Amino acid sequence: MLELRGVTYRYAGYARLVLHEVNLALRDGEIVGLIGGNDAGKSTICLVASGLAPASVGGELRGEVVIDGTPTTSLPVHALAERVVLAFQNPATQRSGVTATVFEEVALGPMNLGLPVPETIQRTRQALATLHLEHIADRDPTRLSGGQGQLVAIASLLAMRPRHVLLDEPTAQLDPEGSRLVAAALRDVAATGAALLVAEQKTDLLDGLCDRVVVVEEGRIALEGPTPDVLADERLESWGVEPPARVRISRALEGARLPTLHQLGWMP
Amino acid sequence: MAGGYLVPLGLVAIVLVSAAVAGILRRLVRLSVLLTLPIAISVVLVSALTRPGETVLFVIGPFDITLEGIDFAGQTLVRLFAISTAIGLFTLTTDPRAFVLDLERRGLSPRFAFVAAATIEAVPAMVSRAGVIAAAQRSRGLDTEGSVAARLRGILPLVGPVLLSSLTEVEERSLALEVRAFGRPGRRDLLWCPPDRPAERLVRWLLALALLGLVVARALGAWPPIP
Repeated sequence: MLELRGVTYRYAGYARLVLHEVNLALRDGEIVGLIGGNDAGKSTICLVASGLAPASVGGELRGEVVIDGTPTTSLPVHALAERVVLAFQNPATQRSGVTATVFEEVALGPMNLGLPVPETIQRTRQALATLHLEHIADRDPTRLSGGQGQLVAIASLLAMRPRHVLLDEPTAQLDPEGSRLVAAALRDVAATGAALLVAEQKTDLLDGLCDRVVVVEEGRIALEGPTPDVLADERLESWGVEPPARVRISRALEGARLPTLHQLGWMP
Repeated sequence: MAGGYLVPLGLVAIVLVSAAVAGILRRLVRLSVLLTLPIAISVVLVSALTRPGETVLFVIGPFDITLEGIDFAGQTLVRLFAISTAIGLFTLTTDPRAFVLDLERRGLSPRFAFVAAATIEAVPAMVSRAGVIAAAQRSRGLDTEGSVAARLRGILPLVGPVLLSSLTEVEERSLALEVRAFGRPGRRDLLWCPPDRPAERLVRWLLALALLGLVVARALGAWPPIP
């Protein structure tokens, strides 16, 4: 389990607090969606939950982040990497810059964990296959499209087989097929008992993926609950989040006094 | 005097022949001239105009142009060209990632290897980023064409964004590497090592011997320093 207990955070050199008394628990095998408008604090929650803030980013943290019963502050960053991984928004900055092929790029994490070569190769092949990237395994990672780069970045983390996975807008540059692949891969990861936190603007992706959704607004948890309930909440748009297509269609049908998708039995 | 030219010109010849064999002679000469030119202009001007000497060739205003000054400028230029062609040959023929991987295989810390790779790749990455930022700024009306003065005026607003975005990218990249346990102590089992043919090993040994020979020659005074 990964827990944020009363976390308040401020970036180094800033007077303003970015997170205020955030309490969030990610249970093993659970996928939790994290939504909110721009600058709401989603990326910061991911950084804090990963332990990178304040360990590497700096800043001031009050409260506690606990991973499997151990406070992150008591672990060095490389030990944190063996327990929790974080995928960033920009695939270009996730390239290591020290590898010549996509295969080597994906293999870098397992290599860094000190795994023997056969296991590194096996994990790399599996991560590439999961995201259907075998055909670009020999390509130069600097010459990929944004979507391909994002899939490679996620594959690089999956190959580490982490206990907990945090993803900050993992499908920002992906087409629908890429998003579906990532969603399926994340379900597989959760099935292994890992806890996942997915910060996303695409509520349609979260709708079919997450067990729970958390809304963050100005650094505070504004709402938390089962995915269907949160994504159907009337206040969602006021928090800068577009409801999923299912909800918008249902509302349009209701407005036109037509049977809703739920009443038609097309949606649960 | 001849010794001051002979060794650097000999080195330039060896580098250029190697570049011709590798099929990169034109690119190397272009790169080396570009690298050398800004320093060369200032060296020639300062040496020719201010270097004192006994043999005055001609006079320009208040400046005596001496044979010694021209000689100093010439020796400096050939040395600069030797350095820039050698560096150019290295960067044009060596995959930086293979280079740092091989260094790591030979015991270099992965962190140092990353710093070395990032340094080698920094210039092309920055040039590429500057191109993207310049295109974005041009689409918003920034004029980067025309006379030298107009181009300079157009480039100045790009400097800040290029430098800041480079710094941000380096920070994000280092975080992404930390997430992938890059800082974990202990040895890593590398997946491959660059091919290393017997001929390459022989050339490396010859280069090391040549370096040693040059150091000894300099110590014994056989290769005089620039006067």
